[in-house]
Amino acid sequence: MDVDPRLYEQIAVNDNDIHNIIMSYLVHNCFKETVESFIACTGMKQPSDYLEDMEKRKRIYQFALEGNALKAIELTEQLATNLLEKNKDLHFDLLSLHFVELVCSRKCTEALEFAQMKLTPFGKEQKYVEKLEDFMALLAYEEPEKSPMFHLLSLEYRQHVAEILNRAILAHGNHPTYTAMERLIQQTTVVRQCLNQEHAKDGPPPFSLKDFIKS
Amino acid sequence: MGGVEDDEPASKRMKLSSEELRRLSNGSTIKEPVAGSSRDLMARPLQSEGGEEVVGSKGVIKKVEFVRIIAKALYSLGYIKSGAHLEEESGIPLHSSVVNVFMRQILEGNWDESVVTLRNIGLTDERTVKSASFLILEQKFFELLDEEKAMDALNTLRTEIAPLGVNDSRVRELSSYIVSPSYCSLTRSPKQDTVRARSRSKLLEELQKLLPATVMVPEGRLEHLVEQALVLQRDACMFHNSLDKEMSLYSDHQCGRDQIPSQALQVYETGVSLKHKLSGHQKPLSSVSWSPDDRQLLTCGAEEVVRLWDVSSGECLHVYEKTGLGMVSCGWSPDGKWIFSGLNDKSICMWELDGKELECWKGQRTLKISDLEITGDGKQIISICRETAILLLDREAKVERFIEEDQTITSFSLSRDSRFLLINLLNQEIHLWNIEGDPKLVSKYRGHKRTRFIIRSCFGGLEQAFIASGSEDSLVYIWHRGTGELIETLPGHSGAVNCVSWNPANPHMLASASDDRTIRIWGLNNLSTKRKEPCSNGIHYCNGVY
Repeated sequence: MDVDPRLYEQIAVNDNDIHNIIMSYLVHNCFKETVESFIACTGMKQPSDYLEDMEKRKRIYQFALEGNALKAIELTEQLATNLLEKNKDLHFDLLSLHFVELVCSRKCTEALEFAQMKLTPFGKEQKYVEKLEDFMALLAYEEPEKSPMFHLLSLEYRQHVAEILNRAILAHGNHPTYTAMERLIQQTTVVRQCLNQEHAKDGPPPFSLKDFIKS
Repeated sequence: MGGVEDDEPASKRMKLSSEELRRLSNGSTIKEPVAGSSRDLMARPLQSEGGEEVVGSKGVIKKVEFVRIIAKALYSLGYIKSGAHLEEESGIPLHSSVVNVFMRQILEGNWDESVVTLRNIGLTDERTVKSASFLILEQKFFELLDEEKAMDALNTLRTEIAPLGVNDSRVRELSSYIVSPSYCSLTRSPKQDTVRARSRSKLLEELQKLLPATVMVPEGRLEHLVEQALVLQRDACMFHNSLDKEMSLYSDHQCGRDQIPSQALQVYETGVSLKHKLSGHQKPLSSVSWSPDDRQLLTCGAEEVVRLWDVSSGECLHVYEKTGLGMVSCGWSPDGKWIFSGLNDKSICMWELDGKELECWKGQRTLKISDLEITGDGKQIISICRETAILLLDREAKVERFIEEDQTITSFSLSRDSRFLLINLLNQEIHLWNIEGDPKLVSKYRGHKRTRFIIRSCFGGLEQAFIASGSEDSLVYIWHRGTGELIETLPGHSGAVNCVSWNPANPHMLASASDDRTIRIWGLNNLSTKRKEPCSNGIHYCNGVY
């Protein structure tokens, strides 16, 4: 039993709100040209530095995704100074991306030296030890893709790190780290879950975006 | 059919007899009885091809194995020349030549060659071969790291160790060692010898354990077999009450009765000399309990209060009571910090020494019997909760277990290791229960007399291998705990023996208390025995009233 769609008619939605939601999504994901065009179409106002930063953030994201962690780190330092110093987890993740690159290109000696210089210092803290071991294990295999740690070489992993980096940069500039759209969907799902748990059979079913869009 | 040649291999003989059996079942007649050839088979135990020689009267010891184990023992003792001589004289080599080469290569550090030799040994289990290769290459790895050849070590790891496909978690650890040689993982307990390469002889020992015993005779095998025999002898010894060090290889061990206390060494009239008279209780005493450090005494008046006394001064240090209720029993926690008491409202309470009440458990009906015991770890409280049942209460988990008997339980006592409970029953039986996990009845002991009074029994002797009990026929009874056999009855008292206590420190001393108002100390029937004072907190008195 779903919510009666007629109830929706009673809620007015402001156009401006919708624009903001879309804008937050576009900005978060650095769709610069789309943003510019959207602003032109809707007549919204946006602070200009937002756009510059977006370009830089986009490049950083791209480098991280490719596995070019060193470049990503360099640009991050320029854009958001001290971010990596304060966020050691992120710093470790980025450095390990570079390590993975070296391993994939079979540059063992370099990888070993890089690990010894940059990664092992993290090992002094207990929480990094296991992660460190995971990465070091890659060195043992001539074909790391076939090792137990193969997931560390995957695109998904790089995406994961790139996204964390993106959010961190946004947070650093006091911008929202999650898009409004994401949050709205998350909220609907959680609220539905709560209702479901409380009312069991009588309550609304869990939220499914796919069904919702179709209806 | 024809006669079967004796030197034909056993398998062929077997086939013949089964053929004959088949013909029998087909109903055809045979010229030679089947029994003939099968009798031959039964006369000689089945041997492998070549017919191994045996030694020993029972014919179960294979000569080749025997000689090899002896040679190994000689080498272990350091008698290299003797060992070598034995190998030569007997013509039985300790190890095959391949294995000898292998061992030498290990000790000399020729890793790659040793891995090859390993394959030549002819092991059937591929996993063993891989595990052994892993150990060898791991040693190579660590020795390279020690020589600071990190890249070579890494190479070994990548090209030789990892491809074996065994022990991935160890491979993971090894990678970490390359990166940081002083690495010592915090996620698992640090191992002492994995940072630096261990000695090659230690490696050889590990390999010996891994490889089948026929390939490499295990270290200490002869010693192990001899120890096994000694242990069996000791376990079979009914009167065993002496230290294992006294066992000899020259003859089978058997203790005589002379190891059991059987002679009254001292007789005390009216107990020991009166030190203090502790008065204060209004009612007759139902139980008495010494503190674990022997300096204090806890006494419980029947349905009254519990008093704590200092033994040296005779002063009453504290009175424990609960308004409106009467205590029936008392006991100490093993660390002497708390006292427990059973109350007549079916509960058990726990106090700190200064009187602060800590906990209280309400359980089943608690009878007015003065028995309350705590296990050595302080976790379980044991008490008689019904006429025929004992409650084992886990203090922390609040779990109750029960021992159910058919007869009324009169008293019980706990073994020193808190694993067993000895229960005295109305029908003159003593039952031994194992109280680990679900309680199980282990043994019963009979023979003594108990009709009117509470008689107490106890564990005793070295390793608590004996059960002793008082009896109304004025004898002290001693049984062997394992077999349940009565081994001694000690005459001497002239009244019912109410309780016995075996000296926990001296396995050759026993004390008994009797209605004839004496206490007897029993020792060995040997005048040169040293006398030690019995430990005072062993004896519980009861006033003989049921």
